[in-house]
Amino acid sequence: MNTRIIAKLDVKPPYVVKPVHFEGLRKMGNPSQLARKYYDQGADELFYIDIVSSLYQRKILADGIREAANELFIPFAVGGGVKSVDDFSKMFHMGADKVVINTHAVQNDPSIINKAAEVFGNQAVVVNIEAKKWQQNWECYTDCGRIQSGKDVLEWVQEVEQRGAGEILLQSVDADGRRKGFDIELATNVVDSVDIPVVVSSGAGSLEDIKELIEIASPSGVAVASLLHYDQVTIQDIKNYLRNSGIMVSQ
Amino acid sequence: MSNIVGIVNYGIAGNIHSVKKAIEKAGGDTLVISSPSDFDLVDKIVIPGVGSFKDAMQELENDGFIGLLKEFDKPILGICLGMQILAELGFEFGKTRGLGLLNAEVKPILCDAKIPHMGFNKIQVINSNKVMKGVEVEEFYFMHSYEVVNYTDIAALTKYGNHSFVSAIHKGNLYGVQFHPEKSRQAGIRLLSNFIQLEG
Repeated sequence: MNTRIIAKLDVKPPYVVKPVHFEGLRKMGNPSQLARKYYDQGADELFYIDIVSSLYQRKILADGIREAANELFIPFAVGGGVKSVDDFSKMFHMGADKVVINTHAVQNDPSIINKAAEVFGNQAVVVNIEAKKWQQNWECYTDCGRIQSGKDVLEWVQEVEQRGAGEILLQSVDADGRRKGFDIELATNVVDSVDIPVVVSSGAGSLEDIKELIEIASPSGVAVASLLHYDQVTIQDIKNYLRNSGIMVSQ
Repeated sequence: MSNIVGIVNYGIAGNIHSVKKAIEKAGGDTLVISSPSDFDLVDKIVIPGVGSFKDAMQELENDGFIGLLKEFDKPILGICLGMQILAELGFEFGKTRGLGLLNAEVKPILCDAKIPHMGFNKIQVINSNKVMKGVEVEEFYFMHSYEVVNYTDIAALTKYGNHSFVSAIHKGNLYGVQFHPEKSRQAGIRLLSNFIQLEG
């Protein structure tokens, strides 16, 4: 099975930004230009997360998404500020293939996962987890790692699977943006807790980090942001390196 | 002779945007089918697929499209759910009758690997056809939890984990692919271009 190599764009309209520990934003570029660049490099998928929309109760900028989705013939997952089945529908009509939800499902109404899965199919519903280590466990956070939920990550991922989520985007509040490696223990635990695909993000600092993550945790995909934004490596570099290490990736 | 590809627009679930863009990229003229009278204006039909089987059939019923799709005798390409609803019966969120154009049922994928099956994967062509021409060795993007169970009209199979399922069908004017050509880079555009060039 191919491990998917995904480019993740954290967007604070109108820019792609790179939060460190989900804070201290740096501007990285224009969403549609970066989307195009990573598509040309051979990304299997793109994740576009509007990181401020839920914080400021603001709707995602439709134009940004439409512009980014326009010329890309790979899947495009979009998230940020999703609160209703109607929001899901709007995002699909803007060109999203999957919709990513976190805050509303964790803090207010988990049943939105059931409703969305029934209308759009579970393959289209991605649940974003912002995990922060607390003693021997991990707790779910929302709003870019700012707000605690009191929910245990391993219990929550099983709940969202039962509710019909088709995929998990796993982010680590502790490791995000530091480029010092993934929280592999967290990734392994989440992958082993569910039967749906898990895409692991947060922490890639080198090609070795990605290889180590895949060899130990076997996620279905890896989402990379900083490493690509700083032009340290290209998607093709990642794929070549993994292929030479005996890990299957798409062309 | 006109050659307009109609894209069936059904309800809130369908992501017709990316299918439309991809067909245009492949050189096709498109028309979004939003009412029954639009069927007279098109030379081919693409049924896109985002949503659940049950919801899709309900939307097609509400729009008055079911009879028209059954009677359409020019090329039809069903993508993902759009292929699945060609079957007799679907088992997503209860039991739902499909269009019945294909002797098949749509059942959950049962296998050892993570479900939904998501990502680029190869196809193994069993019976090639004009739509598959030149893309037999390519990888395509899959995104599904259900599979078409059919024994008579298989064009291609795909292996996921240790499980093989039907990834493309062909029966008369009907073509279907379980993967998303509109999400499969150049290989997908090539496949759509093949479909556009079919003679009605």
